[in-house]
Amino acid sequence: MEGHFPDRGLPYLLVAPSVAIVLIFLLIPSGEALLQSLSRINPFTGAGRFVGLENFTSLLASEEYRHSIRVSVLFTAGTVLLSLSASLAMAALVNRSLRGIGIYRTALIWPYALSPAVAGTIWALLFEPSTGLITFALREMTGAAPNWMMSGSLALLVVILAAAWKLLGYNIMFFLAGLQAVPEELAEAAAVDGASAWHRFWAVTFPLLSPVTFFLLITNSLYAFFEVFGLIDVLTQGGPARATDVLVYKLYRDGFVSINWGQASAQSVLLFVLVAALTVLQFRYAGRRVFYT
Amino acid sequence: MLMAMLALLSAGGAAYAQGPVKITLWHAMGGARYEAITKGIAEGFNRAYPNYTLEPLFTGSYAETLTKAIAAIRAGNPPHIVQVYEVGTQTMIDSGAIIPVTDLVPPGEINFADYIDPILKYYTVRGKLYSMPFNSSTAILYYNKDIFRKAGLDPERPPQTFDELEQMGRQILRSGVARGAVTFGWPAWIFEQMFAYHNKYYANNENGRAARASKVLFDQPFGVYLASRWATWAREGLLVYGGREYAPNRAFLAGEVAMLMQSTSQVSTIERGAKFAVGTAFLPRIPGQPRGKSVIGGASLWVLKGRGRSRSELDAIVAFFKYLNQPTQTAQWHRDTGYFPATQSAVRLLESEGWFAKNPNFLTAFKQIQLGPDTGATRGVLLGNFVQIRDITDTMLERIFSGRMTPAEAVRLAADEANKVLDEYLKTYK
Repeated sequence: MEGHFPDRGLPYLLVAPSVAIVLIFLLIPSGEALLQSLSRINPFTGAGRFVGLENFTSLLASEEYRHSIRVSVLFTAGTVLLSLSASLAMAALVNRSLRGIGIYRTALIWPYALSPAVAGTIWALLFEPSTGLITFALREMTGAAPNWMMSGSLALLVVILAAAWKLLGYNIMFFLAGLQAVPEELAEAAAVDGASAWHRFWAVTFPLLSPVTFFLLITNSLYAFFEVFGLIDVLTQGGPARATDVLVYKLYRDGFVSINWGQASAQSVLLFVLVAALTVLQFRYAGRRVFYT
Repeated sequence: MLMAMLALLSAGGAAYAQGPVKITLWHAMGGARYEAITKGIAEGFNRAYPNYTLEPLFTGSYAETLTKAIAAIRAGNPPHIVQVYEVGTQTMIDSGAIIPVTDLVPPGEINFADYIDPILKYYTVRGKLYSMPFNSSTAILYYNKDIFRKAGLDPERPPQTFDELEQMGRQILRSGVARGAVTFGWPAWIFEQMFAYHNKYYANNENGRAARASKVLFDQPFGVYLASRWATWAREGLLVYGGREYAPNRAFLAGEVAMLMQSTSQVSTIERGAKFAVGTAFLPRIPGQPRGKSVIGGASLWVLKGRGRSRSELDAIVAFFKYLNQPTQTAQWHRDTGYFPATQSAVRLLESEGWFAKNPNFLTAFKQIQLGPDTGATRGVLLGNFVQIRDITDTMLERIFSGRMTPAEAVRLAADEANKVLDEYLKTYK
């Protein structure tokens, strides 16, 4: 089994570029972040004074940070639930042989190709409180003038809608692939046994989709937690009154706008721990329950 | 290998030194202002001084520009000049990375006394002028004359007080010609403006000018009172909140809201974008309060030390500042953007051309900033990490406008947060 290199140095040389990249772009910055999270830093000179865990304790004690955690959890739960259920429904709809089905499928995947900033701009324009198309339609139909720049819960709803919409294409692709892999005999057998279409879906098809669903649950949560910066920045900038201030956005604001590097580093360390914990938990869960044989 | 590359690069730099001396300017002027800097100012300077080359570089928003400049300072290779907004003033003074303008420019080379007093006073801290005045603005009231007329109001008589604004606003709402009476651009800045405008201190130690500020004072009765007046506006539907910075312009330009409190830097943008007659007026006052005056906002130009600036580079910076200071340049910058004509000579030049008579909306801010007493409270606040504090007060106002908190609660909470930021700042820059 074992191959042999003619020279003992060659394998090291071959992995050196990857090791160097990991070292320069991952390990050194991570170490630096950890170091900075334990210091109070003058941003201009970089001179830091060691303050121990002060950045962490003040962060965890601050109501603002705890608020940001709550917003993140709410935002993630809303986005993932909405996006998964909507994409499953749509995938089921386009998993049929209709005339021109290819066009529908392609159209549904489009939003995924947009950059977060573009998606944000589209939604911002649609919901603009005075000139937006959706605002206008709502006002004409109901007489109400919803202003999501003023209402925090409305703003959260809009960013959840936008984030979930952005995920649709990706999710539909995977669900569609999953649906097409479901053996037709199973559904036919169930139909012969007299199961309704609805019952067939939940009893036969959906359980077979569970690996795909679980995979999407992970990727969607990671997206909602860590990759929505562009969307939030364009749409709400964390406002109004911090109603949409998810963790990544707060980190950006404290680090790059307020130049409070010690606190921002502490936040990035906490986020790192959070990702690690989520990943470990999910994979243990995945190993035991989700995959079928 | 990295070291070798760096050595090569610096050798290349030395070989360049034969040509004109190059200085870099990092700025945050997008849109029409980008053209005004690159075409108007930089190209003009480079033509006028063939020995020097000014390279302007757009580096994003004010916040981004400041962050990038700090990164460059850390890396040891900062631009020669960086444009920093007024809220960055205290941070820049404390940075240890700058050369104060009065230390750089030999006496008599630039007549700083020619600068409009409030602008000069803003950037002068404990007797020293730190940065070169460049783009200064203040907040004024814009109003839609067509809406005023349709609502049965005199389009030539905008509100002068809070009470009048409320009465006129109610009439506008009743008549149904607009959905809202007033909206704010840069809400936290308007909040700060109101303190100076009524001669009230915003922070201790004379607004941070006698010594670094350690406490904000906006939780004093005036701040709570001001916030409650605005809370009433929001509750009655007079105030339609449109977001921070320039976002509220949209509601005003769409004719949805009759009045807008916004920076003068938007005069040309708004005049161009509006499909109705635009009027401008002084900010409304609160009856029964002392008179102060509005303060300037905008940004100024800071000289960064870097490692070993050569004499010729410093000369180039001085030459550039002298060029900027020429009345023709200062006046052109004003015409292109709406920012203040920063020197008295520039104002005289514009007057002799009849500019203000033809463009009365450009005059409003200028008159407003010169009316009223010059006191400690009207020279502008200096706060450590003002950027973060402004975010805190914006958040406070959003909490109040949306009715999530009472004005007293929100102001109390925001002052606590701001005081924590100041405390942290003082510890960092001990």
